[in-house]
Amino acid sequence: MYADSHLVVTRTQEPVGLCFAGEIDSSNARAVAEFLSNGFAGVEDIHLDMSGLSFCDVSGIRSLIEAAESRQQGRLMLHGLPYLLQRVMAATGWANLPHLVVVS
Amino acid sequence: MTNLHEADRFRHEALLYANADQFVAGTVPFIRDGIRAGEPVLVVESVAKIEILREALGGDGEAVMFADMAGVGANPARIIPAWQDFVSRHEGATRLRGIGEPIWKERTPDELIECQRHESLLNVAFGRGRPWWLLCPYDTEKLDAAVIDEARRSHEFVTEGSHAEPSDLFRGLEASGAPFDAPLPQRGTALGRTTFGPNDLASVRSLVAHHADAAGLGAMRAAELVVAINEVATNSIKHGGGRGTLTVWQETSALICEISDRGRFAKALADRERPSESVAAPRGLWLANQLCDLVQIRTIPDGTVVRLHMRRSATQGLN
Repeated sequence: MYADSHLVVTRTQEPVGLCFAGEIDSSNARAVAEFLSNGFAGVEDIHLDMSGLSFCDVSGIRSLIEAAESRQQGRLMLHGLPYLLQRVMAATGWANLPHLVVVS
Repeated sequence: MTNLHEADRFRHEALLYANADQFVAGTVPFIRDGIRAGEPVLVVESVAKIEILREALGGDGEAVMFADMAGVGANPARIIPAWQDFVSRHEGATRLRGIGEPIWKERTPDELIECQRHESLLNVAFGRGRPWWLLCPYDTEKLDAAVIDEARRSHEFVTEGSHAEPSDLFRGLEASGAPFDAPLPQRGTALGRTTFGPNDLASVRSLVAHHADAAGLGAMRAAELVVAINEVATNSIKHGGGRGTLTVWQETSALICEISDRGRFAKALADRERPSESVAAPRGLWLANQLCDLVQIRTIPDGTVVRLHMRRSATQGLN
């Protein structure tokens, strides 16, 4: 589990992945990426439950992309992505990435 | 209307018209010449003007792409990317033509200033690129004389009646991209002013969310403003000396959030060039322009000021 003053990330087993609650900005984006990069050896796709993410800035999305691209295999699957974040990803040119998939 | 030499590079031309007949006389032959030469033609105009052109063009209108300036250019910083898309979509075309009328009488004073900035930045965006011809109609009956004077400074050519000539007042390519340091207009009493540092991003967000809610922006637009202000404040922390000052004004028509810091913007087009594919490329100011109704950026002697505007009702006048 990862926790700071405005974000809690917990591991999930079915499906294998992480559940986010709170806010990601430039103060914790790097920590999120590091947490994401550890502990998923041998796992193909990692499923991220984003429905409890009330805020995520550009650096947060960038960290997710970098974490996804640095893996040897598999993708990051984003579930329950809030509409605003979908809009931000579309506006920044990050809507259709091979390793970071928005699951509708 | 032009010789070969002029047609081999970007030609930015203002068309001064006083009524609908002059508008048609200045635009329709320009469009037809483009069609006849096999050039892609994109017209970004008001819905009313598009109707006029479609009627005047008859069957030729089929060959023209039209877009509503009220949508494309509501925030004028979104117009250059639209033209860049047009030019890059037609890679095989030797030449292209466009008509764009970003300035109309109902533009607010802040929008007008940013439209004028946009007209100048077109020279920076395209002046050294592929040859294409952009005609910018100006309504001399409805617009102030000062607006027409500025059009003569931002356009290399001006057409009046059927007569096109180089503009004596054109400020040139270099000056078109000079730092924009004309001070922003003074506003009334601020709702609040607060300084912030590296650990205060969450409070900046909640403060702006509070003011956006009180101003009645609606949940989605309030959330968009919060995203935008967070990016600008993050720039202050990362590139603007580590801290900044947030000021908020609520006016009848808009909520305005300003961030000032000690940073400097190096590139004239920094806020309106589509981000490169590189994941690391900056996206904050681009995003602010996609989410906000208006973004004003100024270089002042000791730093930078960025003002984000959100209209309090989503309506806008367009002539």
